[in-house]
Amino acid sequence: MTAIAVDSLTKEYDTVTALDRVSLDVEEGEIFGFLGPNGAGKSTLINLLLDFARPTAGSARIFGKDCQTDGVQAREHLGVVPEGYSVFDRLTGRKHVEYATRSKDADADAVELLDRVGLRDVAERTASEYSKGMKQRLVLAMALAGDPDLLLLDEPTTGLDPNGAAEMRRVLRQENERGATIFFSSHILEQVEAVCDRVGILQNGQLVAVDTIEGLRESIGGGTKLVIAPDDLTTGAVQSVRAITGVDDAQVLEGPTLEVTCANDTKMDVLLELDNAGVEVVNLRTEEASLEDMFVAYTQGGT
Amino acid sequence: MSWQVITRWDAAETVRPRSVKLLLALPALVILGGAYLYPVFGSEPYTTARFAGFVSGLLSTVAALVGILLGYNSVVGKRESGAIRLSLSLPHSRRDVVWGTLASRAGLLCGTMAAALGVGLVLVVYPFGSLSVLRSLAFAALTVALGAVWVNLGLAASLLVATKRRAFVLAFGLFVVLEFAWSGLLLAVERGLSETGLVGDDPAATAAAQAAEPGAVFQRLVDGFVDPSASVGSAWYLDEWLALAVFIAWLIVPLGFAYYRFQGSDIA
Repeated sequence: MTAIAVDSLTKEYDTVTALDRVSLDVEEGEIFGFLGPNGAGKSTLINLLLDFARPTAGSARIFGKDCQTDGVQAREHLGVVPEGYSVFDRLTGRKHVEYATRSKDADADAVELLDRVGLRDVAERTASEYSKGMKQRLVLAMALAGDPDLLLLDEPTTGLDPNGAAEMRRVLRQENERGATIFFSSHILEQVEAVCDRVGILQNGQLVAVDTIEGLRESIGGGTKLVIAPDDLTTGAVQSVRAITGVDDAQVLEGPTLEVTCANDTKMDVLLELDNAGVEVVNLRTEEASLEDMFVAYTQGGT
Repeated sequence: MSWQVITRWDAAETVRPRSVKLLLALPALVILGGAYLYPVFGSEPYTTARFAGFVSGLLSTVAALVGILLGYNSVVGKRESGAIRLSLSLPHSRRDVVWGTLASRAGLLCGTMAAALGVGLVLVVYPFGSLSVLRSLAFAALTVALGAVWVNLGLAASLLVATKRRAFVLAFGLFVVLEFAWSGLLLAVERGLSETGLVGDDPAATAAAQAAEPGAVFQRLVDGFVDPSASVGSAWYLDEWLALAVFIAWLIVPLGFAYYRFQGSDIA
């Protein structure tokens, strides 16, 4: 069954189109990373999934339940870390989690859940005294209540230190192993790269790419970068390397160093071409194109 | 029944601060103080039915103030801070949030007043007074409903706007206009209209409009149904059954409208 099915979802505010005909399917059991710069429309999409906002056109379903017309059923099997929330001013951490378990009709133990996110010792403290990172972990504990089938997290590592972020990723992997589908948004690439099966990239309200990380690498010039240290470099040699089919780009850096982005099977052609041009290769290493390169390629190439 | 979860948690959070406890003590004090003083300042015979007429004036203003203050912040405060997003991320509908909050806030005010009335009526009956059961129950029901009317009005303001400040201005403005400025406002409108020459003086229409304000309606209900020594006027618009209908309209219409608007609005 499809965990999240988004169909031509559009949200227009007075002057801006925050989300422009986005269609997206997230399959049960996968970890889906939703990537994009700030203001791209990530939160808008999640707000529509949660029925915080009403779409201008299109529809969204969670496990087959329409998010607008059957919102309550759609959220029954959901754990959420929303964006822009605040905790209840005068309730303890434990009361927060109990609120979530009661609301979901689950018989989970609040203290156990707090223990899982490392907040057992502060369970009886008023949540408004928590630090930002502690609040984020508290809301994660609320989300975990009742073993949800889908975890929906909007920038979940906001306010967490690196340890906290790693801990969060560990919990997400555990949940995924249990069988939960995970959908989270982020503008931080390493986090998405570290855990996601598939990635969607959102730019100016439009979904510009949905693929596995491997697939994204391949679609951008095969994902290999050759970093070559030649003894000497002529402009002619660089131009002839650029002319090879399968080469996307060749950049001369200081050193001199030649960086060639190319399809995997073109590497040899590049070296032969350099040899033909009389350039001796002193040193050579290959790099996989990082998600960052892809991200920049997608989000800047589009504008 | 998920609104009940919201009710429990909202009530637990609401009664924490001392200011709210003091606020809730206010109508209780009016009732208990009234019950204590009624045999001193009232006249024979001392009955729980006539006690209603003794205390209803002040009680209606105090219940209005407390109801407004309990209601106006209830939803919009959580909407502005973002705490409502935690509730609405859970399997709660917006209707659950509205009902749950209403039950919590109205429950706090109405429960306090009902409890105070229970004690107050004992004070009235003992040692010199007499109890009229049906009329006392009717007064208790009216008092509880009056509290609910004003919590509803406050809650309606809370649902209609997106910031606490606007909700406060709307709700408190409503309280001041209805409780203190209603007659003057209507007279000014009447004079203004007759100055234009479009409509002639119509004192009956003005009086009818004056009689529609919740405090006046409550007073007429007490006079008509509870206090045997009081009576309502003879004009058609002063009829106690009409007052009951208007009272129910105050209970339902503003909140219904606000709820309808809230349902369709973006909260994030």
